[in-house]
Amino acid sequence: MKKWLRSRFRSGRSDLFGVLLSLPAIVWLAIFFVVPGYVLLAIAFGTVDPIFRAPLPAWSPLDWTFGSFSFVFTHLWGGTDAFFGPAVLRTVGFVAAAMVLCLLIAFPVAYFVARHAGRWRGLVLALLVAPFWISYMMRMLAWVNLLQTDGLANRALSLGGLLPVQVDWLAGRSSTVILGLVYGYVPYMVLPLYAALDRISPSMIEAARDLGAGRTEVFRRVILPMSLPGVAAGLILVTLPMTGDYFTNDLLSGSPRTSMVGNLINEAISTPGQAGQAGALVSLLILGLLVPMLLYVRSTLRGQDVRS
Amino acid sequence: MVHDRAARSTGPAEPTGRGPSRRSVLRYSALAAALGPAALASCARDQPLGARPGASASPLKIASPTNPVIWPIATDNKPIAAGLAPEQNATLQLYNYADYIAPDALKSFEKKYKKYNVKVKVSTFNDASEALAKIRGGSVPFDIYFPSYDAIGKLATTGLVRPLTHDYLPGITNVWPEFQNPFYDSGWRYSIPFMVYTTGIAWRTDKVSENIGARPNPWNVFWDRKYAGKMSVLDDYRETISMALLYAGDSDVNTSNQVALDKVQADLLTMTRTSHPTVTINAYSDLPGGRFNISHCWSGDAVNMPYYLPKGGDPGILRYWFPEDGRGLVNNDLAVLLRSGQNPVLAHLFLEHLLDPAVALANLSATGYQPPQNTMTAEKLIADEYIPANLKTAAVLPGAFEIGFRTLELAPETDARWQAVWQRFKAGA
Amino acid sequence: MSTPVTTSARGPVRGPAGSAEGSPAGTPVGTLTSYRAAWTNRGRGPWRPPYVLAAITVIYLLWSLLPVLIAVLFSFNSGRSRSVWQGFSMRWYTGDPNLSVLHDAGLRTALGHTLLLGVLTTLVAVPLGVAFALGLDRWHGRLPTTANVAVVLSFVIPEIVLAAGLLFMITQLQVPFQLGTTAQVVGLVTFQISYPVVIVRARLLTIGKHYEEAARDLGASPLQALRRVLLPMLKPAVFASAVLVFADVIDNFVLVRYLSASSQTETTSMKIYNTARAAPTPALNALASLMLLASLAAVLIGWLAYRRFTRGEKETTGIADFAQL
Repeated sequence: MKKWLRSRFRSGRSDLFGVLLSLPAIVWLAIFFVVPGYVLLAIAFGTVDPIFRAPLPAWSPLDWTFGSFSFVFTHLWGGTDAFFGPAVLRTVGFVAAAMVLCLLIAFPVAYFVARHAGRWRGLVLALLVAPFWISYMMRMLAWVNLLQTDGLANRALSLGGLLPVQVDWLAGRSSTVILGLVYGYVPYMVLPLYAALDRISPSMIEAARDLGAGRTEVFRRVILPMSLPGVAAGLILVTLPMTGDYFTNDLLSGSPRTSMVGNLINEAISTPGQAGQAGALVSLLILGLLVPMLLYVRSTLRGQDVRS
Repeated sequence: MVHDRAARSTGPAEPTGRGPSRRSVLRYSALAAALGPAALASCARDQPLGARPGASASPLKIASPTNPVIWPIATDNKPIAAGLAPEQNATLQLYNYADYIAPDALKSFEKKYKKYNVKVKVSTFNDASEALAKIRGGSVPFDIYFPSYDAIGKLATTGLVRPLTHDYLPGITNVWPEFQNPFYDSGWRYSIPFMVYTTGIAWRTDKVSENIGARPNPWNVFWDRKYAGKMSVLDDYRETISMALLYAGDSDVNTSNQVALDKVQADLLTMTRTSHPTVTINAYSDLPGGRFNISHCWSGDAVNMPYYLPKGGDPGILRYWFPEDGRGLVNNDLAVLLRSGQNPVLAHLFLEHLLDPAVALANLSATGYQPPQNTMTAEKLIADEYIPANLKTAAVLPGAFEIGFRTLELAPETDARWQAVWQRFKAGA
Repeated sequence: MSTPVTTSARGPVRGPAGSAEGSPAGTPVGTLTSYRAAWTNRGRGPWRPPYVLAAITVIYLLWSLLPVLIAVLFSFNSGRSRSVWQGFSMRWYTGDPNLSVLHDAGLRTALGHTLLLGVLTTLVAVPLGVAFALGLDRWHGRLPTTANVAVVLSFVIPEIVLAAGLLFMITQLQVPFQLGTTAQVVGLVTFQISYPVVIVRARLLTIGKHYEEAARDLGASPLQALRRVLLPMLKPAVFASAVLVFADVIDNFVLVRYLSASSQTETTSMKIYNTARAAPTPALNALASLMLLASLAAVLIGWLAYRRFTRGEKETTGIADFAQL
């Protein structure tokens, strides 16, 4: 046994010490990350009990039934029966719009802080990072308050009562939900963008200037391409959590008109008999997000390798 | 030998740090697939609380006014003995909707039984299915639960509730006599009534110039484009689907007729497209707050609304409509003891406390909902201004139950179809 | 903007970049002239001050923080309204005998429980994560790499997936705990473990292997090298990750909501969510403001500790670096 251990963990390659250090986390992840994933699958492929219609998971793949998945698929597209599809499309639309807006807002801000802030940099960064430490709920609560019919938003828009502006922000508008998502998630994009832009060395830009490039050309041909990895990382970091978001919609719009996939999952989990559908929806969500997630994982791992 | 093999094993398999190789992934996943499910299956919890062996085999008894049901008392779930001493230093756990019981009622109970050093805590749920799931999970031993009688069958059959010991509850005579033998719980073995209420339409006259109640079919206001974006319907699948049924002229609010349900589905879709109302149970604060002008709500919500008007608001602008011929939804909530509760004696004493007229009055003024007390007649409540005169239609009369429609328990299969309609509606399609 | 611009019709001029690349030296008169020249030339040349960008940044900061400031302001409102100012009062913090944070047991419990979850999660997640990062450095193989993939995945996975999975796992499998505080801590640790791992790994890569190898050469055992050389050097990163985990946990919503049991296991974010859709009083604003205070205190402590720990280091220890961690 000792010989086997020693042969397995030759120093220079591996380390018994390293094993001992990482084992607790590995065990933790195995129990609390991998197992819940399997439980979700077991429920998605399982059945329900006849009285309470609580989920009865099918542990062995041999017992798997496809009722929930077929229900979700048959109601995904095509015809009046399809109601999962519109919600999925709506989510994609909201997230895409929010993503674009986030980028349009975050890039100039990050660019300014990285390249032009000068002595204000510390202060501005602190202010940029502040939203992280303010509860998301509180930020949304603040907006719900401002967007009331007699709230400050309407009062400001109508210039204190001069113009007859009376927008019902909270009456199930897609724009309110999109703006809410942008407001909530844009801080998560500013920082990675800032980090990426900050890493571009000034000498590069000066070299471009020396070679005769104008302002826009410098931006287009030097800064933009060099910041693309950071932009990609920021986009993924923002859109992935946004896809599962349901509480922003709940707070800013109580109407089914703006339901997102997260709302569907949330409702299905607590409704008797629909836990299987929740499992199926979650599996489909993961499948849909698989490519960006794997891209992110690969780039992070490669980044770690390169640096070492 | 061993060393050499080990030394060579880190060879051309794959460069380290680049992630698992295909072969090892296959190997590991095959191993996991073989052992994993078996291990998990052996770890599965016993049937969640309340599922008795064989209970799933027998169909659920559905109670209705024409078919009253006596729930059996199982041998292992007998009521507690009379005259026991209350538990000391206990925390009584209540499980209720938010804002559905007066804080004063809790405080007065704690004061009354101060020598037993009892504390009362209320946990809230958003809807009944979420509550049922948590109760069955058994994470918190709640003592008292406030369901509606469309769940009593499930609760009683699966042994989740404790039968009542009537000796602790002489106050039952304070409430309307029919609750001593309700159809859903003959002989009041498991429940006492909590609140009675009707479901109707509330609106504010300062924003809505017409009298909604004067329409031939007032329910159609929710399909009226004129008020789009300023209306709300109840976030309760039984209530809103029943409302759509009444709108279509169908008075069977417990229907299992698929044609009727399909019509409801289509109507709800039209409603979302034309007037897109918000789906919420918070109309009691949002209508006076200005977010809605017309709301589908419960009678207690309407009575509660004046309290939520902004400073200087006039309570006289509020109106509540319920069908004049009484052909609308009339229901009551219950209070039951959960078997998982650790303080059965105190729980009984709390139920008795709820039956006390003074406490019932406190509950009415704090929540707007009406306990079915004999002394609290509609005339008296209006005269004493517990219910404002412009909202007198929100008072519930004893006779209302005879004409009105009850929200009965549905068979699981029918319930599944109702839930499917609701799911589609909430998905915005 | 702080560096003067030399007047020159031709050729590149120095820009107002963050790095001070040398200002034109000169007499005070010369400096005055260059400032005047800078002002005169402010609209010209490719290095003109970025008014537009500055304006965008200012507007963004206002848009980002003003609603929160207003919410904090109204927590001091003397009336019930959350949009109409009716005077200053501490009513919702301590004054009101029924509804203030001090007197409303529900709000108080939420506050206490949130802080408890923050502390517990930090105490579990940071050691787990740091140990894993250290171990990952030494142990190369498929298992740790797979685990690393899992950690990175847990960073980007939508929270509702993890919450649903854990909820079902706890209710369907015979785990030795029920929904409630333990379940919430478990879920939060799983969700937050990526923070310490990523931060400490980054720091380890910056530090490099020389110090540890030097210690080993001088005769220290692996454990001693770790304890006496590596860990002290990692203190800033550990502290930074602890602060981040704490601040993130007290803000968490989806996980704690799914894994909560009774009202005793409600957090402030749940309280705000439940009450915001019903009939909130400014006490809710007060609760949120108190939470904000707790986060800021945690961050301040972390930053001060970071400055103290990196006092001897050559690299600058501005907020910029702290934020970049």
